[in-house]
Amino acid sequence: MSAARIIRSLKKNRAGQIGTALLLLIVCTAFFAPWLASHDPYERVGLPFQNPSPQHPLGTNDIGQDILSEIIWGTRVSLTIGFFAAAIALFLGTLIGIVSGYYRRWLDPLFMRLADVVLVIPFLPLMILLAAYLGPRMSNIVMVIGLLTWAGPARVIRSQVLSLREYGYVQAARSLGGTDSRIMFRHILPGVLPMALAQFIRAVSSAVLIESSLAFLGLGDPTAKSWGMVLYYAQARGAFLTGAWLWWILPPGLLITFTVLAFALIGYALEEVVNPRLRGGIIKKKCTP
Amino acid sequence: MMLQFWGSKLLQYILVLVFTLALNFSLPRMMPGSPMQLLAGEDVGLLSQQEREEIMARHGLDQPIWRQFTIYLGQLAKGDLGYSYRQRRPVGVIIGERLPWTLLLTGSALALSAFIGVICGTLAAWRRGRFSDLGTLSLFIFLDSMPSFWLGMILVALFGARLRWFPVFGAQSPFAGYTGWTAMVDVLYHLALPLTTLTLVTIAGLFLTMRYSTLDALGEQYITVARAKGMPEGHIVFRHVLRNAFLPVITVFMLSLGFVVGGATVVETVFAWPGLGRLMFEAVLQRDYPVLQATFMMVTVCVIAANLAADLLYPLADPRVRVEGRRF
Repeated sequence: MSAARIIRSLKKNRAGQIGTALLLLIVCTAFFAPWLASHDPYERVGLPFQNPSPQHPLGTNDIGQDILSEIIWGTRVSLTIGFFAAAIALFLGTLIGIVSGYYRRWLDPLFMRLADVVLVIPFLPLMILLAAYLGPRMSNIVMVIGLLTWAGPARVIRSQVLSLREYGYVQAARSLGGTDSRIMFRHILPGVLPMALAQFIRAVSSAVLIESSLAFLGLGDPTAKSWGMVLYYAQARGAFLTGAWLWWILPPGLLITFTVLAFALIGYALEEVVNPRLRGGIIKKKCTP
Repeated sequence: MMLQFWGSKLLQYILVLVFTLALNFSLPRMMPGSPMQLLAGEDVGLLSQQEREEIMARHGLDQPIWRQFTIYLGQLAKGDLGYSYRQRRPVGVIIGERLPWTLLLTGSALALSAFIGVICGTLAAWRRGRFSDLGTLSLFIFLDSMPSFWLGMILVALFGARLRWFPVFGAQSPFAGYTGWTAMVDVLYHLALPLTTLTLVTIAGLFLTMRYSTLDALGEQYITVARAKGMPEGHIVFRHVLRNAFLPVITVFMLSLGFVVGGATVVETVFAWPGLGRLMFEAVLQRDYPVLQATFMMVTVCVIAANLAADLLYPLADPRVRVEGRRF
């Protein structure tokens, strides 16, 4: 399926439209953060616990940093972590999915058993354990999220490979004496890429959410403040018991929600385009005859 | 066929358990730093020489690695989960205090979200494409995107701090000395906000699955037959469709167990609910590694047990499984 066709179908899909618009807004915020933010989010620029004012539209936090600037710069951190974690998850997921679907006899049972194990383990407690031992560094958080979320995508991609490997052009490549790796990566990989893209978008969405939970539990990187960490400090200082929740807690949480929503909507839309069985998708109106 | 199915299921759970044990064993021993500190927690510097020797002997730190592993397994087999030098109590006792609270919160949240998810999913599929369907659908997708802890904080700010309808902290009123009936009402009162939070963030997956599989079931031929017989629409939906559409929900339900437990970790932290999740958060803050490890293991064991229970119940819901093994 060509990129142009995917984009065309995405444009027609209502969920895809809303998601793309939201995402553009958020990515622009991350990109233009240095120009949008009025203060350095790591500098004390005012008195602590100030109410919103023209200088500080969302007030200041417990040590006098500008909350709006924190949130604007946090966009970069949250998106970066989500993006790289999803990239690791999808790299592993695609590789394992293809290899597993292709070598059905011996590698498939092994990898799918492994995927089952990963899916059963309560992953947030596991991540907390790993993050606590590895230490709060951004690269560790990215790695932990990536290494523990590949199983879902791997399963989806494997099931696609299972049908792709029976297609005529793959059989032809095999009868012409194509090597296994050539068939897997030249012939099967392009076939699963659209689905991998959809899975990637969904993975970013869940990675952003997971990162915010880890940061909220005090496991975020203190030198790279994400939205989750802003909320961690707000919680630690009891902001939700005072009027400060309105400008300290509401905005970062809404941003997380809309980011996750944007990626999820685009992911749903892409999956519908890619997987004909889901045509009609989440907003499916007709019953299957 | 049946035997094979159970064999593979059991093997899967055993693998999960082995993985958990191996991870707990190797993490403190493979990470850079003193294994004693990583085993006993950050407070090890404050301990006396005698206590240090106790820790050495307890874990067999001067022995070869395989011997350490058999010591570790032997202690677990005896039900010894370790000792928290921070709290100066056996970890088993600490977990025993916390486990019932987590079971209460996650159990009721799962039951409530499954109930609401299934009912709303069926109704939405029945009213497909209308305003009520699209409205619920958008609402649940929106809820699904929220961080659970943030939803909890907002609920606290609104219904706890602002309106003062519900308590915002803990599971019981401290020093109230309630007994019997009043104590139970007190707990339920404290449960209200955490339960609402956890339920709201769990419903979406179950709702979406139920709605989707109901739409599929509505297209089946036996539904056409039922309609042709002149059966009332409500009867068709709730008697014929619901029972068949329910099956995929069980699978999703099992997959969401881990998520709910994870969600409980952060929700318990927001509400200072005295369960395992909050315990894990406290252990992270204090770098109390023995507690952290044991909690993780306990949570995994709970999830495995719940999965097993769901596996046992599945044949009751779908009689076809009883004869031909699992049907996917």
